[in-house]
Amino acid sequence: MDRNWVVLGVSLLVWGLLFSWILRVEKRVNELEKK
Amino acid sequence: MIWRIALFAWIAAAMTVGLLKAPLVPVLEETTRVIYFHIPSAWVTVVALGWSMLHSVLYLWKRDLRNDDHAAAAAELGLLFCIAATVTGALWAKAMWGAYWNWDPRETSIFFILLLYSAYLALRGSIEGDEKRARLSAIYSVVAFVAVPFLVFVVPRMYDTLHPDPLINKRGKIDMDPLMVECFVAMLAGFTVLFFWLQTLRVRVTRIERRQQLARG
Repeated sequence: MDRNWVVLGVSLLVWGLLFSWILRVEKRVNELEKK
Repeated sequence: MIWRIALFAWIAAAMTVGLLKAPLVPVLEETTRVIYFHIPSAWVTVVALGWSMLHSVLYLWKRDLRNDDHAAAAAELGLLFCIAATVTGALWAKAMWGAYWNWDPRETSIFFILLLYSAYLALRGSIEGDEKRARLSAIYSVVAFVAVPFLVFVVPRMYDTLHPDPLINKRGKIDMDPLMVECFVAMLAGFTVLFFWLQTLRVRVTRIERRQQLARG
């Protein structure tokens, strides 16, 4: 397999995980602010 | 929510084009790809530390703790992005120079920035009382930031270095393929928006923590 695709796959996976984690943190912050 | 999805797609698209379509720089070859992560991280470091300094000045002027919240959050994030720039730079150095760390002028500069802002966070952690902590930290932040442009932009140009030319080189030109420049600028913009999003969240967390502390008495 082309190594560029592997690097791209890993980069997108890391970005996707980071993005979803930030969204979860934001959701939690919204909940805490409403309390 | 729409701008968040747009940010995700923007960075993902820039990564995809940068890693699959953009050409490689001769000599650097495959290691060229690191510029799409390394330089935006270094850029956001400077933006974040500048933001921290700006809010430190505002705090000293207005004595409003909301400015201190911004200054502290930006310094934390600046340190985080500085670590990202250091790690990606070290990985690149291993591939190109054969060692993760060589005490090159750029590596030494970034090491000093890491030390300066680690000390800032240590200082904040060691002072009791919001007002006193905010005042002393603001003074430290303003003084520390004086060194940042010197360490980032001046020192690496004063000494011989193995590090590739800065984006805008000594002749004042950008020697880069146009597609690379587009991907690179897209990543810079994406990282900058990501920083301000994280900054807003960190400030909100600080305020929740303060409210909970007050509630506990």
